[in-house]
Amino acid sequence: MPTHKLDPTKWVDKYSDYLFNYAIVRVNDREVANDLISETFLAGLNSKDNFEGRATERTWLISILKRKIIDHYRKINSQKGQAEVRINYSDSENNGDWLEEQVADTFDRTAEDEMENTELGLAILECLEQINEKHAAIFKMKTIDGADTEAVCKEFNISPSNLWVIIHRARTALAACLEKNWY
Amino acid sequence: MPKRKFFIFDCSKAENCCDKSQYNEAGTREKISMLFHLLFCGPCRKYTSRNTKLTRLIKKSKLKTCSEEEKKAWKNRIEKEIAKKES
Repeated sequence: MPTHKLDPTKWVDKYSDYLFNYAIVRVNDREVANDLISETFLAGLNSKDNFEGRATERTWLISILKRKIIDHYRKINSQKGQAEVRINYSDSENNGDWLEEQVADTFDRTAEDEMENTELGLAILECLEQINEKHAAIFKMKTIDGADTEAVCKEFNISPSNLWVIIHRARTALAACLEKNWY
Repeated sequence: MPKRKFFIFDCSKAENCCDKSQYNEAGTREKISMLFHLLFCGPCRKYTSRNTKLTRLIKKSKLKTCSEEEKKAWKNRIEKEIAKKES
């Protein structure tokens, strides 16, 4: 079994987008997500010696982030006090209606769709990890951030024709990877 | 893929135009030539459909990236922490 090694100096470049997309959908607040990622990196550094190399760096960081998200919700809930359940049906006619309200609405797939979209996003980022680092950064800037061709060329000091060759290779690799891992 | 040429457009030009169209950066003339090429070229039709599907998936995923400032702040914090541990 291959053993994985940690390289904290590359964590931000390699995994910050992945961790961010994982966190943002779970906490729904950019600032909180940022804090949680920052805490994850620091906790990772502090427990570096416990890393056995059986999981990948990303999986290991995600497991730390998961704990941080759980801690975040625990903290919020302890500040709020205990949850209360109130049933406001005083007349006998409406008695029992609250039970119906507890049943999941099968037509409301919003949350499920959101989750599926996030998983798709993470699958895309996982596939991008497999291509050249610079090509992935160029692809992200052009496709996800929607930057102008001129801006991307200037940032990475490449010609427009070079950019389109890189985009073409990245898209071909990404489509093949998603066909294998997603469809 | 072997290069095939239909209506002044060969496959690499058609693929390039298809890539640009995904970002709305292909010109009208270019797009018309590509469409003619696609009429006769099966592999490029397949490439276009795969490419369009990829664009749809990327949009659907609503992916976000971190800003450079955010990344810089994290990097600084990590560097500081490493330096603290080493000293």
